[in-house]
Amino acid sequence: MATPVLPLARGRNTARPRAGMSAIERSRRRLFWPMLAPALILMILFYLVPIIFAGWLSLNEWDGINELKWVGLDNYIRLSKDPVFIGSIINTLKILFIVGIVTFVFAFGLTMILRDMMGKKFVRSVLFFPTLINAMVFGIFAGFLFSPSGPVNKLLLLVGVQDPPKWLAQDNLFNMIMIVMIWSATGYFTTIIMSAVDQIPAYYYEAAGLDGAGPWTKFRHVTLPLAWDVISVCAVLWTMSSVKVFELILVFGGSTAKPPPTSTWSTALYVFQAAFGSGGDREFGISAASAIVSLVLVTVLTIGLRRMLRRDAVEI
Amino acid sequence: MNQVITQPPLRTETAKASHTPKTPTRRRSSRKDRISLGGYVGRAVVWLLVAFNIFLLVWMVLTSIRDTRDIARDPLGIPAVPFWENYSTAWNTGGFGTAAINSVIATLISSLLVVAIAAPAAYVLAKSTRKLSSTFTLLFVLGLGVPGQVLLVPVYIMMAKFQDISHLKMINSIQGLILVMVGLGIPFTVFLLAGFFRSLPVEIEEAAAIDGSSGIRTFIQIVLPLARSGLVTAFMLAVISGWNETLFSLVLLTTSENRTLPIALLAFLDQAQFNGADWGGLFAGIVMVVTPVLALFIWLGRRIVEGMTVGISK
Repeated sequence: MATPVLPLARGRNTARPRAGMSAIERSRRRLFWPMLAPALILMILFYLVPIIFAGWLSLNEWDGINELKWVGLDNYIRLSKDPVFIGSIINTLKILFIVGIVTFVFAFGLTMILRDMMGKKFVRSVLFFPTLINAMVFGIFAGFLFSPSGPVNKLLLLVGVQDPPKWLAQDNLFNMIMIVMIWSATGYFTTIIMSAVDQIPAYYYEAAGLDGAGPWTKFRHVTLPLAWDVISVCAVLWTMSSVKVFELILVFGGSTAKPPPTSTWSTALYVFQAAFGSGGDREFGISAASAIVSLVLVTVLTIGLRRMLRRDAVEI
Repeated sequence: MNQVITQPPLRTETAKASHTPKTPTRRRSSRKDRISLGGYVGRAVVWLLVAFNIFLLVWMVLTSIRDTRDIARDPLGIPAVPFWENYSTAWNTGGFGTAAINSVIATLISSLLVVAIAAPAAYVLAKSTRKLSSTFTLLFVLGLGVPGQVLLVPVYIMMAKFQDISHLKMINSIQGLILVMVGLGIPFTVFLLAGFFRSLPVEIEEAAAIDGSSGIRTFIQIVLPLARSGLVTAFMLAVISGWNETLFSLVLLTTSENRTLPIALLAFLDQAQFNGADWGGLFAGIVMVVTPVLALFIWLGRRIVEGMTVGISK
């Protein structure tokens, strides 16, 4: 502004692109709706409308055949008194917090170990692949490997364990499910966290080392603060995927001819069983109500987690 | 910020100089110093984990070519002679043959469609400066967070209604499943591709516009080829999620001739409940479910990993 050269240069710089931009902008505006419409219509048909429909359905009683009956909030009241539903919420929260925290600790541990290890790309790929495979497969594997006379118990017998735990007994089943989940999710989160940690310049660690920082202090004061953004995104991501867990629980420790024991149900399983379960009755209203509860759950948890993690990030 | 970056190395140099005279081997020695006992234990654990994952895959393949009685006797054994009959049993009588064909058709078509529909939308959302476009971007991002089970019952009922009105087979048909998979895949694919389009330099489009290329021609002839790697990644990820789709397939597909692989696997498990488990056939089925994804991962692993992680850290 002060010198005469600057405004001149600036004027030329802005004038040229503007001419170009406006041509692009004009054709873009013309193309905006035609190009967006197909995806937008699908989005409305498969997301917006179904959510609204589910909300309305949750206030009704319907088996899919007879007339729909308005029941108001009855479905929600019934759910609040249903121990299976409460259990499914608790299981989902267990997956979110217990599996989530353990997975994160493992992922960070692996990241720190892998950071300067030979063959880290190979290791990362091998640990990543379970993420891509239908979790059902791991349910079948676990059912086979941990069956009473299965390989795991045979191996334990070899090392002298006469009385192995009853892996697939009802009380242990959900813990086993959580262990399989931790195993299959760790690779994915390790990869994400590693890509964030890899961007931290090595001399930060060197400097910290020279100041006398041990591995823990380096982790606490260099890695954690600098990777914080990615961690908070991972937390949100995990929240969303933990509410969806379905296949693994459906097949865990056996088959689906009969539904899995109710003590292992997640909200996804509850929604499915209420509407299409092998029990026979199709309770679309109850199913929709439980679906809405899980949507509210994921929304509240996501917002809550983001708030919580964002506040911590400000410290840095 | 500048200070923060330049300061540490300076201090490193001076400190190193005063303590260790042999600077050439500095990197090696500092690296060696870092491996403590805990470090060795950590590495051992990592390699054990890697060994376990690889063992699972090898074991899966080996078990799929063993006789069921053989498997029952010694679950961890190695086949003396490969027993390929498991695959023919699984393919023909186990229903995995039809299911594999259905899975391939449903996955490929739905993945192509979802990329074809999402790409233009992602492009306008990434490049448009309209206020509206950020609203729509938010809508797609929010869609990412909706758990599938919320949509399960309404989508099923809507598909049934649509079938009544249109007389097009939607329930218990592959085309119905394809439609659902395309619809459900839109938010993720739009989100992923919008990231790719955003990273493309705007100058190229400007140049095309100045040369008189129309918007749609610029998109098809210039932008799409430039974004090819993004499109391939989006397609691959759609293939993987389509191949593994279970919840909606389970509800929508009811008869054996329309099953996809995950559903055939479930049906096979159900049968085992009554006829005793045919472990050989089951593992052959599992190999069919796992191998295509694994092959894709070995072939295009870097892209898949990037697609699933890079967009997220932004």
